[in-house]
Amino acid sequence: MAVDPNMRILVVDDMVTMRRIVKNILKQLGFANTDEAENGQEALQKLRADTYGFVVSDWNMPVMTGIDMLRAIRADEKLKATPVLMVTAEAQQSNLIEAVQAGVSNYIVKPFTAETLQEKIAKIFK
Amino acid sequence: MHKLEHKLYEELGTLTRFVDSAMKAISAASPQIMSGSTQLPAAVSHLSDLSKMTEDGTLEVMRLTEMIQDNHGRIAKDLSAITEVLQTMDCPTLAGRLGNVTSVLAQDGKCLTEIMTALSFQDLVAQRVKKLVSILDEVQGRLMELVVVFGLQESCEAARDAGTAGDLLKQLEKSNTTAMKQKVADDILAQFGFK
Repeated sequence: MAVDPNMRILVVDDMVTMRRIVKNILKQLGFANTDEAENGQEALQKLRADTYGFVVSDWNMPVMTGIDMLRAIRADEKLKATPVLMVTAEAQQSNLIEAVQAGVSNYIVKPFTAETLQEKIAKIFK
Repeated sequence: MHKLEHKLYEELGTLTRFVDSAMKAISAASPQIMSGSTQLPAAVSHLSDLSKMTEDGTLEVMRLTEMIQDNHGRIAKDLSAITEVLQTMDCPTLAGRLGNVTSVLAQDGKCLTEIMTALSFQDLVAQRVKKLVSILDEVQGRLMELVVVFGLQESCEAARDAGTAGDLLKQLEKSNTTAMKQKVADDILAQFGFK
């Protein structure tokens, strides 16, 4: 599957700085069509109201965590095929296994580089 | 019967002396407990300020970095257009020089992306601050229980609680050692068929 540079990407993180960093790196990688949400609940609302080709999400967020959002996406008939990349400092092996079992498309440990993000996107959409 | 009563009085005497000694020890520690319980909210406030200040600073660096990135984008576009014109005018030397400038801009662009990425430290700092605040809340709650249960009176000057600080550091250190690197994450993902 070729990566569509125009696909709409939803960046989910409760920290404004992280949302801006991820969006900036995505832009440098050629993905300028981005949107953002502060938590899993807001992300789900946006995902259900609009069309997104890819979700980049944090794990620890108030209201709804990234892992709960991931489970909700996978349980939703319309959204379940959406690739979800977890970008998180929640970096214990048990968390990673939990994310894999919930259907994560790939996983990045903070702090990360632009190359790592590029590599993960390429793997998800290859 | 008298022997039993005697034993009971002895036990009660021991217990009373123990309670008395414990009360004296707690009373002696009262200034530190009172000081700790009253200073912790200020410590929480300092930590929250720290989080906010790093966020403000990070956002400002981001704003300036993004501005330079946008300027670079515009310069690169103009240079590309000028290079095309120079090539049609058969000015290979000038076109080559502009090519060098373009490649320096590209290198700078990579540096700017790295600066943006490095700013993710703020998110990690904020998460650690959150953990510290929750630890301090817990400690404050325990201290307040002591104050209420033993009716400690506020009496005095501040005192350091090295034990509490040590515990906090241990918890931070623990959370650091349980963190996982990307390489380990990739190895685990590979075991689940991620290639």
